[in-house]
Amino acid sequence: MALQLRKAIQCLSTGSKIFLYSETTMKQTKLPFLLSALLGVLATGTSTPAQAVPSFSRQTGQECANCHIGSFGPQLTPYGIKFKLGGYTDSDGKEGHIPLSGMVAGSYTHTSKDQSGDVGNGFGNNDNSSLQQASVFFAGRLSEHLGSFTQVTYSEPDRKVRMDNLDLRYATTLQIDEKDTVVGVSLNNNPTVSDPFNTVPAWRFPYISSGMAVGPQAATLIEGSLAQKVVGASLYGLYDNNWYAELGVYDGLSQGALTDIHVDPGDKLDGVAPYWRLGYFKDMHKQAFSLGVFGLTAHLLPGWTPGPTDKYRDFGVDSSYQYLGTREHVFALNGSFINEHRAMDASDPASSTGHLNRADLSASYHYDKTYGVTLGLFDISGSSSATLYAPAADSGSRTGSPNTNGYTMQFDWTPFGKEASWQAPWANMRLGLQYTGYEKFNGARDNYDGFGRNARDNNTLYTFIWFAI
Amino acid sequence: MKRFVTAVLLGVLGLYTVSSAHAVGDPKHGTDIFAEECADCHSVLQDKNKKGPSLWGVAGRPSGAIADFDYSSAMRQSGIVWTADKMDAYITQPKQVVAGTRMKYDGLGDAKARADLIAYLTSLH
Repeated sequence: MALQLRKAIQCLSTGSKIFLYSETTMKQTKLPFLLSALLGVLATGTSTPAQAVPSFSRQTGQECANCHIGSFGPQLTPYGIKFKLGGYTDSDGKEGHIPLSGMVAGSYTHTSKDQSGDVGNGFGNNDNSSLQQASVFFAGRLSEHLGSFTQVTYSEPDRKVRMDNLDLRYATTLQIDEKDTVVGVSLNNNPTVSDPFNTVPAWRFPYISSGMAVGPQAATLIEGSLAQKVVGASLYGLYDNNWYAELGVYDGLSQGALTDIHVDPGDKLDGVAPYWRLGYFKDMHKQAFSLGVFGLTAHLLPGWTPGPTDKYRDFGVDSSYQYLGTREHVFALNGSFINEHRAMDASDPASSTGHLNRADLSASYHYDKTYGVTLGLFDISGSSSATLYAPAADSGSRTGSPNTNGYTMQFDWTPFGKEASWQAPWANMRLGLQYTGYEKFNGARDNYDGFGRNARDNNTLYTFIWFAI
Repeated sequence: MKRFVTAVLLGVLGLYTVSSAHAVGDPKHGTDIFAEECADCHSVLQDKNKKGPSLWGVAGRPSGAIADFDYSSAMRQSGIVWTADKMDAYITQPKQVVAGTRMKYDGLGDAKARADLIAYLTSLH
């Protein structure tokens, strides 16, 4: 039991998402999920959701609901967007706030069909419960213009404390052409983690998901492939509360540094990777919208082996809309489309150039800042490659195609995080029920992997409990 | 003719009365305006300061009066007493009334909405 709980505490956060990593002896998880999660919390101390940081609330006097739709991170309201761009420095004017928070997330995952083998690290081939993540955040105002959102995560797959998201900011407000202009610099370790909109990969729906289920094989580079493996600085500005621009550059960490912070080295970034972002944002108090474009270019050396590189050029467009009204009924739409042009001179020299597209659209409704329902649609399509998408049980592709599409629906309940909430702003919790269904998976509906597994076999029921303090 | 003139006068008086009622404002609707426009930064709970000061009892209060709130020096030195007229002017164009205010709000142009909001704020005591 103790081993189960200890191993269940694991989870890694990639960008805004928390992925469960299978590992331990959870083959026969008999303990009801909620009980195991709660016991896990007691066993491991307190923690916080990767995107809802109560120390921000203690610093500002604002309730979580001011910055987050549904009173829990990471879906930002216009106020939350401005708080982030302001460098996390807004405060209630009082001294003595400690910029520390914590989180724990526990979860249970069921897929329609057992996987062909155990998920690994002691977890079984289905019906796995786990205490997903335990993190500590150094998050808050450090000085008038300097703020931090820095996360260190204990995760069970590797049973190590590892570096997670980093976003150190300096921000100030200038007058340009008699308009307020926020200008800042972000030092961070994940392209798009610095972005304030819930349309980019680091912060889009679903905000928490299972790592115990089989996921699509293909992802564009900007969708977290460089997360925590790089460090970069970006200069950004918000002119007249409307026009947003960001320009940054990332450099890869050395293998030694990645080993020290317990991050999988993955592929080596060859040279530097420029990142850029342009957007228009309009906050009308009762409603808000944004439109934007963003991009990342990078060359990678697979396996850190000297030689030819894989070249990626990602380009994205995104848009969002929020109806806020009196905040009793809040409706939000988020959409994005990413096109990746690839020249896989190292990984797939025969095919060399190709493309990969990813489209996401999500719609959410929250009542009384407490009850939420979100529907997300996703579609992945791109060039076929028998090398990149080879047949393999569960995770491979019989057709060599990355094409995948489906939906995710989530219901959640967030009882705290409002002005009059019990023990506000210390007590924060979200309970959620999520279902992901696939129409097509890695190129086919039926026998997609060449081993008889169908797309619908990966349909996933996922429940979670998320605590923040 | 006399009846007609009387009817017209009564009608005008009636319109004036309605108009005055609008000017006074509807505090119930004002709660919605507060939630839409103000509640991100202000609380109406006594002694609950957020990014902005508590607005409980704001009507008739001198500016910069909450001891433990970090007002801008411009607000502290403005000498304003928050009468309905002053609140109306400030909510319409904050920086025109207190240059140097920290309140990042462009203003509420709708006079009816302002009247309702002020009616609500005035009821908080």
